[in-house]
Amino acid sequence: MSDSKQFCTFFINGLFFGIEVLKVQEVIRYQEMTSVPLAPSTIRGLINLRGQIVTAIDLRRRLELPARGEDQLPMNVVVRTDDGAVSLLVDEIGDVVEIQDDVRERPPETLRGVARELVTGVYKLKERLLLVLDTEKTVTLTAA
Amino acid sequence: MPIKTIITVDDAATMRKMISFTLKGAGHDVIEAGDGVEALKTLQMRQVDLVLTDVNMPNMDGITLTRSLRALPQFAHTPIVLLTTESSPEKKAEGKAAGATGWIVKPFQQEQLLAVVSKVLGI
Amino acid sequence: MPLNDELQQQLIKDLLIESTEGLDRFDREMLVLEKGQGTPETLNVIFRVIHTIKGTAGCLGLPKIESVAHVGENLLDTLRGGKLTTTPEMITTLLAYADALRAMLNNLENTGNEGSADYSILLQQLQDFQTGKSPSSSAAPAPAPAPAAKQTWGLFDDESAVPAVPVAVVASIPPAPDAPPSTPSAPPPPPVLVENAGVEKEGAARGHSVSDSAIRVDVGQLDKLMNLVGELVLARNQIVQFTNQAQDATFINASQRLNNITTELQEGVMKTRMQPIGNIWAKFPRVVRDVSLELGKSVQLVMEGKETDLDRTIIEAIKDPLTHIVRNAIDHGIEMPDARRAAGKPEEGVLILRAFHEGGQVNIEIMDDGHGINVARVKQKAVEKGLVTPENAARMSDRESFNLIFLPGFSTAEKITNVSGRGVGMDVVKTNIEKIGGSVDVHSEAGHGSTIKIKIPLTLAIIPALIVTSRSERFAIPQVSLLELVRLEADQAKKGIEMLYGAPVYRLRGQLLPLAYLNKELALDPSASAPAAPGTTDARGSEAAAVNIVILQADGRQFGLVVDEINDTEEIVVKPLAKQFKGINCFAGATIMGDGKVALILDVLGLAQHANVINEVRDRSLTDKVKTDGRASDRQTLLLFDVGAGGRMAIPLSMVARLEEFPRSQVERSGSQEVVQYRGQILPLIRVADYVRAAAGADSQGGDLMQVVVYSEQGRSVGLVVGSINDIVEESVTVKRDAAGDGILGSAVIQNKVTDLLDVAAVIRSADPSFYRAEAGAAPDLKVA
Repeated sequence: MSDSKQFCTFFINGLFFGIEVLKVQEVIRYQEMTSVPLAPSTIRGLINLRGQIVTAIDLRRRLELPARGEDQLPMNVVVRTDDGAVSLLVDEIGDVVEIQDDVRERPPETLRGVARELVTGVYKLKERLLLVLDTEKTVTLTAA
Repeated sequence: MPIKTIITVDDAATMRKMISFTLKGAGHDVIEAGDGVEALKTLQMRQVDLVLTDVNMPNMDGITLTRSLRALPQFAHTPIVLLTTESSPEKKAEGKAAGATGWIVKPFQQEQLLAVVSKVLGI
Repeated sequence: MPLNDELQQQLIKDLLIESTEGLDRFDREMLVLEKGQGTPETLNVIFRVIHTIKGTAGCLGLPKIESVAHVGENLLDTLRGGKLTTTPEMITTLLAYADALRAMLNNLENTGNEGSADYSILLQQLQDFQTGKSPSSSAAPAPAPAPAAKQTWGLFDDESAVPAVPVAVVASIPPAPDAPPSTPSAPPPPPVLVENAGVEKEGAARGHSVSDSAIRVDVGQLDKLMNLVGELVLARNQIVQFTNQAQDATFINASQRLNNITTELQEGVMKTRMQPIGNIWAKFPRVVRDVSLELGKSVQLVMEGKETDLDRTIIEAIKDPLTHIVRNAIDHGIEMPDARRAAGKPEEGVLILRAFHEGGQVNIEIMDDGHGINVARVKQKAVEKGLVTPENAARMSDRESFNLIFLPGFSTAEKITNVSGRGVGMDVVKTNIEKIGGSVDVHSEAGHGSTIKIKIPLTLAIIPALIVTSRSERFAIPQVSLLELVRLEADQAKKGIEMLYGAPVYRLRGQLLPLAYLNKELALDPSASAPAAPGTTDARGSEAAAVNIVILQADGRQFGLVVDEINDTEEIVVKPLAKQFKGINCFAGATIMGDGKVALILDVLGLAQHANVINEVRDRSLTDKVKTDGRASDRQTLLLFDVGAGGRMAIPLSMVARLEEFPRSQVERSGSQEVVQYRGQILPLIRVADYVRAAAGADSQGGDLMQVVVYSEQGRSVGLVVGSINDIVEESVTVKRDAAGDGILGSAVIQNKVTDLLDVAAVIRSADPSFYRAEAGAAPDLKVA
């Protein structure tokens, strides 16, 4: 019996990403945000999650992908981290997928830049590649 | 094993907690008191099967408590065990004179506490 | 059935709390004993503390603490039995012994083990006291016996039934008559209840009686409760806001009740977190005793307002700063007994700790009646250490000078003493206090002593704050930092806001306040990044009409924060910002507003530093800049003014202490000298026009107000009366010397106009030959190309 894991998946700029389901606290639709002046541009702002103040990180900016269109409202994938909940802003939410660990591959060489550091593994699914993100690394921003 | 009610009298809360935990673990009911005066007050309203008392306490020490309990008819025969320190043979003598049943030297292992309790209660 | 780990941890935690309290009691009672005010119960209390630590530590498997406690217990038992009396050296050793126990307990708390420190010398001393003084005592000390070979329990009527009975122990019990109540060999019975009730000292009274109405609650539990109440307050705020539009009377009533109950609940929960400041003061008698003994000083400690309650987070945070201040006051404040006698003071110095509530804040004052802070020496030290420039030092008020002691790297001690020279300075004290939203200030009177005043918000979690808006973003400003609000209409703004040091300033009742524009500091709008011209908040908008200034205080200094809009004051719940924002010091946290949106809380000190409006920081950077610029390109910041018709002049801004306006009616005469009263001093006035050529009588122009440039040197000031102040420019100037003489250093082309450079020193010298007498050659030089 090989190990299998569940991933919460989402799309960013057409790419298919996943985060281990256990790390995900919840997925919520777009929330109004308060921007934080002087903060790194990766941080889109602060949202009020039922009385809890949560930092929202724009994954497009974090992964150095082109900016989202003005009319396109991002979704929040709220993940649990060592420093409390953090929201990751993504384009669109996918399904929760269960994957056998043996389809796991190393990140392809074509994956470059920041993405290479944040993607811990790649799973080859039928239609597409799933890029799995390391949440702790993703929410740790080096001095901007 | 019959369930016995035991009172532990000590001014150190940590000590009480530990004793209480050990005895409850062995299935007994335990009540606590922080010094002799408090124990006396409690015991005027409650009968217990065994009194475990520290010797050195504020307000009323263990020897005085023993003496006071022995003066009450309902406690004339209740076992009273003193928790004492190894360096005080005089205290032991005093305790015996006051009417204590036995003594246990602090610090003690849980097993020792249980052994003395079983012995004294005859269980 | 061994103790499980969790219980063991819990019990160790209890032991730590119990022992810490006990050792504080130990110290207190020791000091009572030292003063000769002890009762028989005093030694009993002291003994019991150690006895309890020993017993509990033993049961929890902490052999080192147990054996160290054991040695002290022996000595204390002997003392208690009256076979030995205490000596001052013995008390000192016993206090050190309590510290050793504390150290082991601290180690246990921090590392989980008892530590490896060696206390054998200390323990030997304790044993020597015991044996040396009473060699024949029947309670001669046994070295801590090895438990393995010992009988651990027994029954009095059945000694033989006990396994492994060493006969020796049983034999040592003297035969006793059966009948209670006492045996001939027994020591006098311990004090009984009745006697105690009257005599009980404070220490003894703080018993651990289980039936006390007080219970111990896990702090984490309280914090959780506090957070929940915080949430509730937010929800309440939202509902109350919603109620404002509601019509339904039942709903409005219910909402009103919710409002009241929430407020009460909030207060109630906050109260549970309160502790009297006396809890941390309790150790000060000991600190004061140790420090003064070490320094050979005699100090009486007076504590007022012990019962003043503080939030426990604050209690934790101010513990160390307060200790440092107390040590410092004895070390640097209070004089040696002979010096005090010579100064006509009682040999015993007085140190007063006072705490009280005022206006939602806790005030803590530490007063000593020592020699006070020597302003000249403080300034000199600060200059020597490069913390301020000589010019800045010279123009500082006494109050500003006192606060120099809080600068990082400052220490007035001639020599580093064991007492205060521990690598922590007053700057750390200040930082720690400011971290919890407090402020610290020092006052001093030469010869009479110093007072350090600490102000701390009552509670940290919920604070009153002013809500402001800039670029439609809301920000909360903690009320503690707020001094006043100023609104300037357009025309007032134009006059009221000047440019100085290349930065906008506002003159509030004669005092120049640097201004920071929130839009600009937080880069709220790209188009607002250029410094706004005086009198406009918004370079683009039509709403540029009025200017809203929030006058704030940070670090004992004031500045004005210009915002678009000033809203209401609200109680806000402070929530910390996540680690991603660590690098930004402009925000103290965030909060959720009544409408559910998040607003940032400004960190006033951080913002002031960011905006460079705190004098020291600012002066230093400015001086540096002038220096480097001067070397590199001869650029100088110059104050442009005129002294009447066509008399266009300049002086380096670095020579200007302040710019002032005085009504002519305020001018008085002292002999032939014109003077005004200025900041509690007499400021001599020099009409520049009288001392430079080609400008005679020019000052008669203008209205009722006289424009005065205040110049200071070595603590003396003089006012240069000019016609009008025109501008401040930063330019690279080439001075032509040919025009020099008659109060003019030379001329230069500034802003395309020929401008004379005023020879300040020459003018002052000819007006008042005595001004520079005190320090020959200290006359200022104007940098010339």
